[in-house]
Order: sequence, then structure tokens, then C-alpha cells
Amino acid sequence: MGFFDRTDDKAPESRPDFSNVRSGGSSTAPAATQPTSTIGSSRTYIVVKGDSLSKIAKREYGDANKWRTIYEANKDLIKDPDLIYPGQELKVPGV
Amino acid sequence: MHTRLLGTSILALTLAGVLSGACNKSSQNPGTTGTTGTDAGVRVSQVDVGRSLTADKMIGDKTDSFKPNDMIYASVATEGTSSAATLKARWAYQDGQVVNESTQTIAPTGDARTEFHISKADGWPAGNYKLEVFLNGAPVSTKDFTVAR
Repeated sequence: MGFFDRTDDKAPESRPDFSNVRSGGSSTAPAATQPTSTIGSSRTYIVVKGDSLSKIAKREYGDANKWRTIYEANKDLIKDPDLIYPGQELKVPGV
Repeated sequence: MHTRLLGTSILALTLAGVLSGACNKSSQNPGTTGTTGTDAGVRVSQVDVGRSLTADKMIGDKTDSFKPNDMIYASVATEGTSSAATLKARWAYQDGQVVNESTQTIAPTGDARTEFHISKADGWPAGNYKLEVFLNGAPVSTKDFTVAR
């Protein structure tokens, strides 16, 4: 019988189960706030009399042609992009 | 005479190179007991393990020998300031089987203590354990301890 033919009756050594280990921690230092990404962030803009989406886009992005970005982010509020109302709170994404 | 001088110079240069290499190697491999690590503004200055914790997150009962039903505490002392420094404690058993990993992200404004603790309701298996502490992903300290019945 060769070395590689040898069978061993010994069962393989089982590894302990650590799945029920409980852990925790705390610090005297304050917890760091997670950095917020510019991508996906937004701020709120309250519409005033005389506003239009393109005016807001010009003011917020420096480009009136980006009005659609604001429209897309507020489709639940804006039915017609030509009609926005004073007091409406619009999300302005990526500012 | 010239040959002897040349031989001595070569030997000196070789020794200098070996010593320089050894120094560089040790500074690139900080994962041994007692070494410390830094991020831009934070440095781990001390790591202790023990059975109890004081109110200021220091180990009250330092030991490297635990009983199966002990709660095991690690206290990591840091110095310096950071808006976000990530400390990780990795606890391993015997041949490296990971027992637990925990991470805390802190914003220290000076000396601070951060504690990690682990427990196991049905008791720790007897054997050798290792705690590794990482600062922002880099290993900064290790502590060996045992559990015995």
C-alpha cells in the first residue's frame, strides 16, 4: 500500500463555531459623520413669484438649459414644467 | 595595501546597505506587537486587553489570560486629530480563524480611547488568540492572549 493509498480513520479536526460571538464598542471620541457625496445630494429651493425652472437652473447651476434636471427630480410635484407656484419646495440635485 | 583598503571599503558599503535595508523593512511592516501607526493626524499609541473597562474606556484589569466565559475587552489609545479615522479590531483564533471583526469610525480632537469587546455565550474554546488593530486599513498593533479552562 502506497503512502497516498493510506486511509485515516481519524475524523478531520472540526473548527470551533464563532457565529454566536457578540461584539460591541464605544469611544471617548465622537463618531465621525459619514462624508456626504456631492453626487446624489440635493438641496431644497422654495419657489418665489416670477420663477421658472430655467431661471432656477440658471441661478443654481449657472446654466438655464439644466432646467430639466430640476424637473426630473420634482416630477411628483410638477405636472407641467411651465407651471410652478410660489411656495413650492423643489429639490435641486447635485448642488 | 590598496587591495586591503578596497576590500574594507566594499565590506563597509555592504554592511551599510544591509542595515539600510533592514531599517526600511521594519518601517514598512508595522504589524507587530507594540508598533503604532498613523493616518494624516491620528496615531495609535497603545493597545491593551483585559477583563474589565473603566468609565474612560481604559482596561481596568489587564491580562493576556482569560477564562472561557470572560468578556474580552480591548482598549485602543489614539493621539491626534482627524475628521474620520477608522479603527478595526480583528480577533482571530489559533491558526487565524477569524472570530470577529468590528469597526468604528471616530473623529478625535485629541487623546482618545476606543474600546472593542467580544463575548461568547457558550464559552470561548481554549487556545491561543490574537487581536489585530488596524488604523484606516493598515495594521498598527497586535496582541496575543490565551483562553484556558
